[in-house]
Amino acid sequence: MQVLLSGLAIGAIYGLVAMGFAIAFYVTRVINFAEGQLLMVGVMVAAWFARTGLDPWIAIVLGILAAAAVGAVTYLVAVRPVLAFDRFSFAWLVSTLGVALILENGAALVWGPTSRSFPALLTGTSVHVGSATLTLQEVVTIGVAIAAAIGFELYRRRTLFGKLGMAIAHDPEMATALGANTVLVATAAFALAGAFAGLAGVLIGPITYSNPYLGDTYGIAGFVALMIGGTSRPAAAMAGGLLLGILGEAANKLIDTQASDWFPFVVVVVMLLVLPEGLLSLAAPFRRAVRRARAPAGATG
Amino acid sequence: MSANALDLRGLRAGYGRYDVLRDVDLQVAPGEAVGLLGPNGAGKTTLLRAVMGLVKHRTGVISIAGTDVVRMPAHKIARGLAALVPEGRRLFVDQPIEDNLLLGALHLRRDKARVSELLESVYALFPVLRDVRNRPAGALSGGQQQMVAIGRMLMSDPTVLLLDEPSLGLAPIAIGEVAEALERLREEGRSILVVEQRVDLALRMCDRIYVLAGGEVALEEQARALGEDGRALIDAYLG
Amino acid sequence: MTAASRVPAAWRPAAFVAALAGYGVFAYWAAHSTLYIQGLVLVAAVFGMLAVSLDLVAGMTGLYSLGHAGLFALGAYATTILYNDHHWNLFLILPTCLLGVGAVGLVLGAISLRVSGLYFAITTFVFTLVVTVFASDSTFTGGYGGLIGPIFPEFPSSLSWAGQSVIWACLIALLITTLVVLAIRSSPLYPVLLAIRDAEPFAAAAGASTAAVRIGVFGLSAAIAGGAGWMFAFQGIVSPSQFSWQVSVNILVMVILGGINTTIGPILGAVFITVFPAQVNINPFWQEVLFGALFVGVIVIFPSGFVGLVRLIGRQIGRSLGLAGPAAPRVEEEQPGIVDAAAVSAVARAEERSAASGSNGSGPETPAIDCRDISFRYGSGPLVLNGVDFTVRRATIHGLIGPNGSGKSTLVDLISGRLRPVGGSIEIEGVAVDREGVTKRVGHGVARTFQSAVLVNELSARQNVQVGLYSRVPRLAARSLAWPALPSARRDGRRLRQTVDDSLAFVGAREWGRVRLADAPHGIAQLTQLAAACAWGPRTLILDEPLAGLAPSEVEHAASILAKLKSTGVSIVLIEHQPRFVFALCDEVTVLAAGEVVASGPAAAVREDEHVREVYLGQ
Repeated sequence: MQVLLSGLAIGAIYGLVAMGFAIAFYVTRVINFAEGQLLMVGVMVAAWFARTGLDPWIAIVLGILAAAAVGAVTYLVAVRPVLAFDRFSFAWLVSTLGVALILENGAALVWGPTSRSFPALLTGTSVHVGSATLTLQEVVTIGVAIAAAIGFELYRRRTLFGKLGMAIAHDPEMATALGANTVLVATAAFALAGAFAGLAGVLIGPITYSNPYLGDTYGIAGFVALMIGGTSRPAAAMAGGLLLGILGEAANKLIDTQASDWFPFVVVVVMLLVLPEGLLSLAAPFRRAVRRARAPAGATG
Repeated sequence: MSANALDLRGLRAGYGRYDVLRDVDLQVAPGEAVGLLGPNGAGKTTLLRAVMGLVKHRTGVISIAGTDVVRMPAHKIARGLAALVPEGRRLFVDQPIEDNLLLGALHLRRDKARVSELLESVYALFPVLRDVRNRPAGALSGGQQQMVAIGRMLMSDPTVLLLDEPSLGLAPIAIGEVAEALERLREEGRSILVVEQRVDLALRMCDRIYVLAGGEVALEEQARALGEDGRALIDAYLG
Repeated sequence: MTAASRVPAAWRPAAFVAALAGYGVFAYWAAHSTLYIQGLVLVAAVFGMLAVSLDLVAGMTGLYSLGHAGLFALGAYATTILYNDHHWNLFLILPTCLLGVGAVGLVLGAISLRVSGLYFAITTFVFTLVVTVFASDSTFTGGYGGLIGPIFPEFPSSLSWAGQSVIWACLIALLITTLVVLAIRSSPLYPVLLAIRDAEPFAAAAGASTAAVRIGVFGLSAAIAGGAGWMFAFQGIVSPSQFSWQVSVNILVMVILGGINTTIGPILGAVFITVFPAQVNINPFWQEVLFGALFVGVIVIFPSGFVGLVRLIGRQIGRSLGLAGPAAPRVEEEQPGIVDAAAVSAVARAEERSAASGSNGSGPETPAIDCRDISFRYGSGPLVLNGVDFTVRRATIHGLIGPNGSGKSTLVDLISGRLRPVGGSIEIEGVAVDREGVTKRVGHGVARTFQSAVLVNELSARQNVQVGLYSRVPRLAARSLAWPALPSARRDGRRLRQTVDDSLAFVGAREWGRVRLADAPHGIAQLTQLAAACAWGPRTLILDEPLAGLAPSEVEHAASILAKLKSTGVSIVLIEHQPRFVFALCDEVTVLAAGEVVASGPAAAVREDEHVREVYLGQ
């Protein structure tokens, strides 16, 4: 139980970062390798504002906004020109990685390469769930992550802008022919992806403190979570993150304390061999079957 | 003099360094239905895509109701000037019918009343769609999908309607339904440019016919002048 | 393609020797320089090898591998462990590394190429992660601290004048790697690789087993990475952080920065990325920021890398000096009657050869193609073809017409083996081919073209025609590794060039031979496709809308070529949309509508058929 809940807590962070990856990928088919660094930007900016004496809650909001803004700029500076040159090239791999380098070392330049404090708002209080104990921070993290995933799914399906995002993901050219400004939507997607990473950052900040190299660790974890969940839909990435968190904790507990370093990768390898489209691709045939079963009934009605 | 709904003069368009269309002149008067015929590779689809702004390299004049759109990006042309039913329909198959239709009215999104009015008019044209509006578009038959594609086009309330082979791959009954809908739109006084492979359908739906070959206009004639069975046209085809 | 192609042919050997001598002088200098510089040279050479090997897969076959750090690690660890713990001879370890890591590459490729594109990148990425994680957590790899690598044996005293042996070794390794890749580039395999990358159906129709070639190239690239790992072990310490996924990405950065698919570019990229951080001594954070900005800047402002930049500048200088390139030939207003008699006879000779070698003794009465009761559907969709009978007699042109969506292209995909029917049987020259794939059916003398010309736009018309000749060069894949050095290759190359020229002359596009297809008009692309299909002397040609998109004068020209092919005994299936030409050109015509045969028989009879008019009239 403790393993499960601790795993969910850390997995929620991975999941948020993975959703960031997925949201940007969903609309633009580009993986923003600076996604982990956007988490770092969220942490660093929030910590910095808090140090200047600003109310910590406002600092946290500013941190998230900063991550979103940097996300949008990343698209406009490092991705769009590349895609404009050749829609199918993989050169964005290099340019987003360049952005990651700039952000990481730029942060180290501005704020120094060492860890600094992060405003602690919720630690200290413990919550008991059955035999397990969680900090309030962890409970909030799980709650916020799941709310964010559900909120995003609802937004995607219920609002016109969300529907437009789906349309662009499916057929960008046709969406253009319907009047969609794809550049605008893609920029918004990158900003939203940045906000998700920033959110993850301010949630993990109290535990890790603010450090310019946070991006590497969480970026790669988020990416692995994305692989587990598959790229077909952003919410699946959250599921992948939660699963990765639980697997890591379980491996630490059951195998040895270093096992979380490698165990998830073994899972990913097995998965890529068996289900190259990600775990949730399992659901697709099921969904199709349901649709087929429902179709004739609907046709007569 | 009122401007033509669509006016192409000296249009050249293509994808690489060489043009698919070479010097095409074509007009659609307000309220006129014009058919575009020709063999594969003649440039019919490219012509529609060029009008829609989806072909990057285009020079000459493309004017829609007096507005020159040759340099306009597609998403601006889509705001009420032109709308396209592409070859193969290209619906958003995972999304419900109604979402597909609403996405057609992107530029009207602030005018809720206008959007629901347009939605009603589409359902009035294709009553069958109302019953299945929450079904994913991919789950429909080909004929119904074509109706959704036409409905999506109408949702933007465009000046000129562009249709690329609306009868392609449909069962005979569905072809009849689609043709009927187009005739209704023609009676409503819409300006239509439709690419069609089937001579009989083109003659039935259109006032005037252009035949395109090798990227050039090979023939331009009133549908009436081609006679009831369009023998002249068939001969142009069969040699 | 490369800068070398602009050097006059007579100078090329001299230029090569001069470059080699310069490289030797550099090696001599490096082998006598300070330890610091030697360290840099070793690392730069190793990364140069890695970048060249990655460019081989990424540039030529379009597979963006992120597994190269992992493969590299395998080589380095294997060398260190086999030497330290098992006391193998270092020069026995090298071939072990090459073969072992190459084999790992083959397995990795076979697994991950089931899903292509992005998933290939991801699978190989995870491979690198797994390798480094295991290296960090296992005891026999020394964990995070790593292992101390072997020391490269010194030169014997008689050679001690040459300086540091390991420098010579790494620079020679880089040289050999580069030469092997350049050899592939100059061989007839190169256009085939690009075809597999850009126009897979075309490569398959030419008889290349595209999946096997891809996996093989990846295996070769992996072997080079293993060799680089062997070399790298001599640099001192082998530890997990040297092989992290960032290293994989860095190698890719080197390739793109230098210029993808240029072979030399990636080496420049590797040198730059290795040397730049070591030489520019500023605040390390600033340096990394600068580095990042450079990645973004180069990619955004100049996406084709250093080499692309140099070419652009070179072209601009050339232009300002008034050295305009050769003007593109005009579209030939062809004299359809006049085609090189020699060319015709060359094609006819190819005809006889292949007819003699593989006709299984079936007589001229056996139909070229005989399809009986063919049915087909995509997945669980409706029937696209329903009970189609289709017979093509020898040395005739058989037209296949019908409205869009009637199943014409599907039928020829079934005949050429790209698709499998759900019902019915297909015989080619009396041999049942139902169990054979595309590659095997090419062996029955079947060639085809594709609707809207599936070709490699980056290559010239001649190189595209060469792709069509793939099945006519024995053991091409293996021989390409040392192509320029093989006497047999020189002979084959000459023969190949001759056939290519004959074939282009035959379709009347010889003038366009050296022009990149991207710069040629559509009609030339269609003719090139036709030349590629008939270059190797097939007995049956399947042409999917060869006249689509041609100007009227070009259509006449293409029609005359088909008539000529028929006169040399080739059976032709012609899918066409312009019935006017079909009836004039074809002996027999089959009309498809909605997946069924509406009419079939002699052209004149079909033309008068009531049903056919209905198909075009509707109703």
